[in-house]
Formats: sequence, C-alpha cells, structure tokens
Amino acid sequence: MTTGSLTPGVEALASAPWGIRLDGVSVRYPNGTVGLKSVSLDIAPGELIAVVGLSGSGKSTLIRTVNGLVPATSGVVEVGGRRVDGASSRRLRELRGHIGMVFQSFNLAGRTTVLNNVLVGRLAHTPLWRTLFGAYREADRRLAFEALDRVGLLPKVWDRASALSGGQQQRVAIARALTQQPRIVLADEPVASLDPPTARGVMDDLRRINEDLGITVLVNLHLLDLAREYGTRMIGMRAGEVVYDGPAASATDADFAQIYGRSVTAADRLER
Amino acid sequence: MTALVVPRRPKGRWMPWTAAGVVVAVTVFMCLPGVGVGLDVAAIARNWQQGALRIGELLTPDWSFFPRTVGPILETLQMAVIGTAVGAAISLPVSFWAARPTNPFAPTRAVVRGILNVIRAVPELVYAAVLVAMVGVGALPGILALVLFNVGIIVKLVSESIDATDLGPLEAGRAAGATQTQINRAIALPDTWPAFVSQTLYVFELNVRASTVLGLVGAGGIGLLIDAVRTFYRYDQLSLVIVEVLVIVVVLDTVSDAIRRRLV
Repeated sequence: MTTGSLTPGVEALASAPWGIRLDGVSVRYPNGTVGLKSVSLDIAPGELIAVVGLSGSGKSTLIRTVNGLVPATSGVVEVGGRRVDGASSRRLRELRGHIGMVFQSFNLAGRTTVLNNVLVGRLAHTPLWRTLFGAYREADRRLAFEALDRVGLLPKVWDRASALSGGQQQRVAIARALTQQPRIVLADEPVASLDPPTARGVMDDLRRINEDLGITVLVNLHLLDLAREYGTRMIGMRAGEVVYDGPAASATDADFAQIYGRSVTAADRLER
Repeated sequence: MTALVVPRRPKGRWMPWTAAGVVVAVTVFMCLPGVGVGLDVAAIARNWQQGALRIGELLTPDWSFFPRTVGPILETLQMAVIGTAVGAAISLPVSFWAARPTNPFAPTRAVVRGILNVIRAVPELVYAAVLVAMVGVGALPGILALVLFNVGIIVKLVSESIDATDLGPLEAGRAAGATQTQINRAIALPDTWPAFVSQTLYVFELNVRASTVLGLVGAGGIGLLIDAVRTFYRYDQLSLVIVEVLVIVVVLDTVSDAIRRRLV
C-alpha cells in the first residue's frame, strides 16, 4: 500500500500526450458477438477517462480497439492523429510502443525478475539481437529503474515477479507501461483483483501518472465510487454503445442506474 | 431435525465392474488359439529348467569382467550427454514454433508439428540402423539417432506445456509493441524454462537406457558389449553390465530429481 515517491527529475518518463478519436467504430468478433456498435468518441490529450459498465458491456473491447489488440470491424480509430485501423503490423507495433497497457490480472512473466518485466516496456524500441541476448541499453535500464522508483518498488527490482503481492504486481505492471514513455495509458479493470485499500493505492498511481506526467489515461472500472472519485470524465457503456458521456465527479446514482440498466447496489461500490 | 431428501442416483450409467468385465472378456478372447495370439501355457512347464539356468547365471555377476566394461559405459554416457545437449539446443526454438501461443501462424505450426510427428513415429533403433549404414559403426550414428529421438520428445512435451500457459503476459508484450520473437524470448522463455530443463533431464535418462539398445545395431556404447556377451551366452557378464546400467540410472534419477526440486 506504499504510494510511489514523487521523485523530481523523472520527466524522462513523460512525453507529449496523445488524444484518442473513434468515429463510428464497430467491432464484431469472429464468433458473431458484437463488441461495439458504432461508437464515436473524442478524448483530448491529458484527460483521465473512467469507462464504466457491467461486464460484457464492451468496455474491454473499447480499450483494446485503441491499441489495435482488437481490430475495428468498421470505423476510424486514431491515436494522436495516427490511424490505428488498417495499420500494417509494423506500424501497429510502433504505435503500441507509445501506448502503455495495464491489465486486471497484472500479466507479468512470473518466473523472471521485476526488472525484466519492466524492460518489456522497451521492446518496441529494442532491436531483436539485444532482446535475444538480454542486452538492454543502459538508457533503457535507467528508464526502468526510474519507473519502478515512481511506483515505490525500486527495492524489489531483483525479486521474482511472482513473489510480489497483487498490489505490488500491479504497480510493476504500471512501471512497465511507464517505461514505454507512453503518450496514452490504457488500464483494463486494473483494480478488480485487488482488496479495497490496495485498489485505492493503484488508482492513486494512475492519477499521478495523469496529473504529474500529463499522460492521457483511459481506465475501465465497474465500481462507481472509484469512477466518480478518480475520473475527470466518465464514459458509460451498455451493450456495446456509449450511453453516458460527461463529467465524472457530478455523475449521480441515477446516471449509473441508467448505464447499468438496473438500480445501484452496495456491490457497485468499493467502500460498502 | 428434518430428514434429508437425497435425490435417487441416476440409472443407466456405466458401472466400474461392467467396464472391468469387458476388459477381462476381451483379454481372454485375445488369448484363445485360432482367433487370438494362441498362448501355449504348457511351454512354460516344458522349458522352465533352461530359463532357471540363465536366471541362475544372471544372479551371479562376473565381477572380474568389470575392467572391460568401463570404456563402453563411459562411451554410453558421453553419447547421452552429447545427444541430450544437441537435441535440447535444437528443441528450444522448435518448441516455440510448434506451440500456438508462441507461433500464432497456423501453417508453419502445422508444418513443424507434421515433421515432428514423423520423427517421433520412427523408433530410435531404426534411425540407428539406417545411420550406421550411412556413417559407419561407432558412436556417431548413435548420437545422431539420440538427437532425433530427443528432439521428438522434448518438442512434444515442451510445446504442450507452452500451449497450457497463461496468455496474459504474452498479450502484455503484444500491447507494448513487441514482435512475436521478442515476446517469445522476453516473456515466454522464462516461464517455459523449468518445463524445458525438466524434460531435458528426462530425455538424458532415456538416452542412457536407449544406448543399451542402440549398440545392438552397431551404434556404439554399452549396447555393443551387451550384444557381444549375449552372443556367447555369458549371462554372468551380461548381468554385470545390467547392474552397472542400473546403478547409473539410479544415480541419474537421484541427481535430476534434486535439480528438478530446485526449479520451482
């Protein structure tokens, strides 16, 4: 539950943030499931967007179309004015190199060190031979150390990733995203596997990334109090469509009831 | 306290004793003369004395034969070490090509798997026989046969363990803009390493055992000696060789078990 120290001089991790634009984006999976129905969104650089909705509402699909992990079936996806849909795999890798991503299940390689996991954030900028021999550039390693320091886990740099607690693993994942010097950070249910105090710590880290480094952050949540507290703007999803788009802090329980299609219960809050 | 209402056990399921009955019936049927293999149990009674003689010799190893076995035993171990090392080195990249998470491109995966199925289908003794004809009698054809044998086993087992792996970390690599090869090296390899080392130790043991057979077709190692003493009906000497192989296998088993426990 330690919060990352705010060391000055880590501007290296920041770079000019990108906006995100979706225009009439639909996603249909190969099995016929519709993930998104003609979604249009305009996200300005530096916003912290909370995407809320029940599971299956399309939040995960939305976030994955931004970095092309899920290809848009139709419509236009742009990050920082660059087209994601229809990009070649090489171009897609280059764009992804600028977009950090954090997952619900942390997705670390458990049997290797924290450092090696964080260095995955540099792969898009590392030649293959360096990857094969594990010979990362000194500058890349320094970026990894700085990112770990920012989330308060530098002392754990040589530990095995699987030896860390859930909250620590998620912080390592955030450090991995930061090491990319990202212009956007996507977070897919980053606190759904964590206990309430730890969840808050991780959300604080994401907010700091947004406020101190100015990085655009798009975070999926299903808990309305977290969305209200941390988001600068909230997007509500239901059945693959955007059903709410407005300021997060002033969103009412009635707004949530409209997004969820049912009345709000205690289970929809982190603190009951 | 109210009585529990337990639902009636559903009928029409296969009972274990039904299955056992079927197995016994099929086995007996296979033994009947005419339809099956035609077992002549009476032959055991007629010939048991000859067998008893051999067993008697096997129970009294000829320890004075030991000096002559040292060389071939060492050759067997050398063949096993070289065969395992080369086979494992080839297997590691091939395993990644043969598994879905580390090679999403189906056609190349199918080609690699097809070739491996062929390699596994051929017994190592056949490889050894063909290779002896190609490169001559000695350790080399034995080592080559072991390499093929090892690649077939290691790739099969390791690629299956990759197939069962958690896809999340690999997706994280993809999201960070890494190429598949980078993902395989930086993320899949560390998680695959224990399975790879474990299977390599396993085939090393298999290699020691296999080389007792490879010698029968002239592919070097202790098998050559086994073939020689067997031809002269020296069961007391054969017995010593078997004891030596047993000792080696037990030692290897203990050592590899200790290594595996440290893998985690």
